[in-house]
Amino acid sequence: MSTLTDTKKPADRPPTPDYPAPRYRRFLGVDRSNWIFWATIVILAVLVLAPVIPTLYQSILDKPLYDQGGNFTLENYGRLFTEANFGQVALNTLMFALLTTVLAIAIAVPMAIVVVRTNIPGRRVFGVAMQWPFFISSLILGFGWITMYGPAGFISVEIRRILGFLPWDLYTIPGMAITEAVALAPIAYVFCANALRNSDASLEGAAQTVGAGPFRILRSVIIPMMRPPVVYSSLLVFSMSLETLSIPLLYGQPVGINVFATFLYNNGLQSIDPDYGILGAASTIILAATVALVAVQAKLLKDAKRFVSVRGKATRPRLLDLGWLKWVSVVAIGFYVIFGALIPILGLVFRSFTKIFTPLQNPLLSITMNNYATIFQYPVYVQSIRNSLIVAGVGAILVSVLATVAVVVARRSSFRYRRLIEYLALAPNAMPGLIIGIGLFYAFALIPFGGASFIQGTIWAIIIGFGIRALPSAYGSLSPAVMQIGEELDQAMRVTGADWLRTFLRMLAKLLTPAFGAAIVLTFVIMLKEYSPAIFLGSADTNVIGTTMLELWVQGNTGSVAALATLQITITAVFVGVAGLLMRGKKDA
Amino acid sequence: MPDVVVTNLRKEYGGNTVLHEVSFTIKDGEFFTLLGPSGCGKSTTLGLIAGLDKPTSGSIEVGDVVFVSDRNRKFVPPEERNLGMVFQSYALWPHMTLSQNLAMALNIRKVPKVEQQRLIYDALDKVGLAHLIKRYPHQLSGGQQQRVALARALVYSPKVLLLDEPLSNLDAKLREQSRVWLKRLQADLGITTVYVTHDQEEALAMSDRIAVMSNGHMLQVASPNEIYERPATAEVAAFIGRSNFLDGTVVSASAGTATVRLEERGEIINVAVSGDAATGEAVTVAFRPEKIHLSQTGGSATPGSIVLDVDVIGTSYVGSRYEYDLKYGDRIIIAESTTGTVEGAAKLVIPADAARLYPRADVVSQDAAELMAVTR
Repeated sequence: MSTLTDTKKPADRPPTPDYPAPRYRRFLGVDRSNWIFWATIVILAVLVLAPVIPTLYQSILDKPLYDQGGNFTLENYGRLFTEANFGQVALNTLMFALLTTVLAIAIAVPMAIVVVRTNIPGRRVFGVAMQWPFFISSLILGFGWITMYGPAGFISVEIRRILGFLPWDLYTIPGMAITEAVALAPIAYVFCANALRNSDASLEGAAQTVGAGPFRILRSVIIPMMRPPVVYSSLLVFSMSLETLSIPLLYGQPVGINVFATFLYNNGLQSIDPDYGILGAASTIILAATVALVAVQAKLLKDAKRFVSVRGKATRPRLLDLGWLKWVSVVAIGFYVIFGALIPILGLVFRSFTKIFTPLQNPLLSITMNNYATIFQYPVYVQSIRNSLIVAGVGAILVSVLATVAVVVARRSSFRYRRLIEYLALAPNAMPGLIIGIGLFYAFALIPFGGASFIQGTIWAIIIGFGIRALPSAYGSLSPAVMQIGEELDQAMRVTGADWLRTFLRMLAKLLTPAFGAAIVLTFVIMLKEYSPAIFLGSADTNVIGTTMLELWVQGNTGSVAALATLQITITAVFVGVAGLLMRGKKDA
Repeated sequence: MPDVVVTNLRKEYGGNTVLHEVSFTIKDGEFFTLLGPSGCGKSTTLGLIAGLDKPTSGSIEVGDVVFVSDRNRKFVPPEERNLGMVFQSYALWPHMTLSQNLAMALNIRKVPKVEQQRLIYDALDKVGLAHLIKRYPHQLSGGQQQRVALARALVYSPKVLLLDEPLSNLDAKLREQSRVWLKRLQADLGITTVYVTHDQEEALAMSDRIAVMSNGHMLQVASPNEIYERPATAEVAAFIGRSNFLDGTVVSASAGTATVRLEERGEIINVAVSGDAATGEAVTVAFRPEKIHLSQTGGSATPGSIVLDVDVIGTSYVGSRYEYDLKYGDRIIIAESTTGTVEGAAKLVIPADAARLYPRADVVSQDAAELMAVTR
């Protein structure tokens, strides 16, 4: 074998045609597929680490990190708790997050069980209705709640007139928690409902055969089975309410209740001379908390998969009959949907068409288009709508492309660090929007040779910030689609003579087109609703709908806020509707 | 077409060895089958030949081309190996017509369009599907898809054809017909073929040589006849066809014969051995149900036969023959016979050339052993 031998056989065999396998060129000893793997991991690492590293660095510097001559110090952390009263903030955040979690789970879990496993009327309607937060951001929900239930809200005024007093106060931690719970309950609901749908219905059938009634089955079979999804969705809701900005900003700000996000908002933005050390230290602590929570979630999710009994065979569960209790359930769910979401949103939409919105005067008398006129009169407001559309449009395409490549490399390559790619793509789940904003702000400031001016304050800064936030969702929506494509299809392509890149372009990309379209729709909607990274990254020219709404709200121009909110909801609904039609049309063809 | 030489091939997954230092050579034009139960390492071996996976150590060469070798850390990716492969799921690309499925390899190899059309037609014609050239895979039956997958693997005249359980998704009747057809096609083309299956009948019927695998080891590589008639180990005897096993101890040994005391009742028997047997060695005596004779009196015993006293505890008629369950001590022995009239106490005659001696091995699965215990 070490010597070269003449392998030419005698010419007696029939001349078989010879189509030799292709040779793929290698650049610096690495083939083109590997270059793509490396490019993907580098881009992801830069995107994820750009906001994090400067934040950690700033937290141990005694000067703004772009100033010369800063020294390392741990003083920032000390001052955070002494001067800045961060302890109280942490306590508020904890109480708010705990209360939100308890309330959200109390709404979501019974609802999931009742809708998925019992025969209440209108199950399908309720199932669809729980998707409302997809269209409506929690910022808009907050505006809606204040419009209806705030101290001067439409319903509050009426209640006060009847009772003589108002039995609730939104501007408290419980008030914040109730609204946030209403906003987050659908997320817990979707997770629990899916777990229930996936679980083997024959378990219940087995219970029935040994003579268990519906309540017995609920208590002994369904509820114990629900423990993993309930624990997981509790963690999810908890970590989301830990980082949320909208509701605490609208409710807590006026009365001085601060949580993590509003603390960053106040210290970074509201003060004339922001204390960067404190900002960095606070961001680091918050980041540590969210990262820890997301890590636990990931671990639980892996374990939960072992619990959920998935069968290939679709067993249609026999729905349990709750008797008279089903009407109680219907009323309870209806109450949540109508008073939690429908009335505030419809109220807000109605508000956008009126001058004054109070039960003391028939609102129909003050119907006006002025709120919309205000928005369309001022170029900055129009600009913000245009910006939002550009950010969401361009961002959705970029993020979906990046996510597609990342999923395929992570799931369908022999790249040594493919696992890391998945972790990187999902990491922004643990990064609050404000911290992404602050961190990118620092990161841009560190670009050498004055490169900062090319990106700082431009719409690209916003696209990057929002894109990082949307990346995990895009990845999560594409990942199952990739895993549904049999791996043997790739292998057949490889053996046939296609390298990884050609396999991707000629086959996977084509088969993934519908999932890619769905990812674009999803990321577009997410990025249209997003605003928190823009608070630090934006400039006067690069406001988006969300930041403009906040601005108008602070000015007291609630009519125009309502109008902008209505526009945002409308854009979302139209986009989703048109995209749905387009994709359906393609499927038929 | 060249030989495939596999040397000391080893594969670990996370510290778990699924393939232990396997070596074999597949000759030019040979139909070579990797046979074994699921998880035995046969598909791993095929994947390593195809290049879909990298071995932990060892080398694979085809002719004078080194595919993978740990000596110079060489690894040729699958796309540069010029092999043809048919997958268990067929893996036809669903968004392409048959013609496009077959054209892929030719496009990659930059074959001129006119020649492509001829080659695609020829390949589909060979599998009898030339009339469906414009169809999509989902418009075909399972059997047709399987043939398209074969055509796709052959259209560019690869050096070696790899088949990963290609018939296992077909229904029983079609599977038998496909077996004959596939074997004839392979013989006509003279292409070196590596075939993976867990179906022993398939392996026996089609192969030039079979490699029997178990737990990542290659137990025996030989022709179908030799594998069946002279299994190298008790495991092979258990896996290929059916065998009865009786445990015993060698009490004395001479050239060509070992005297064994059976554990069950202490009977002393003589068994022919090809190698040496050591006195005192724990052994297993194996014999196939169709090679033994059952009669009421044992009158048919030829000299040198082993004769055991058994009780008939059950007879079943399975179409072409009768099958007896015989109680021998605590053991159940299965015997086949053309008559179904033997009952009660009977004589079991094992001709001298039917019994084979192996080192003691646990060849009965846990499940089967438990079932036997229940039967008693």
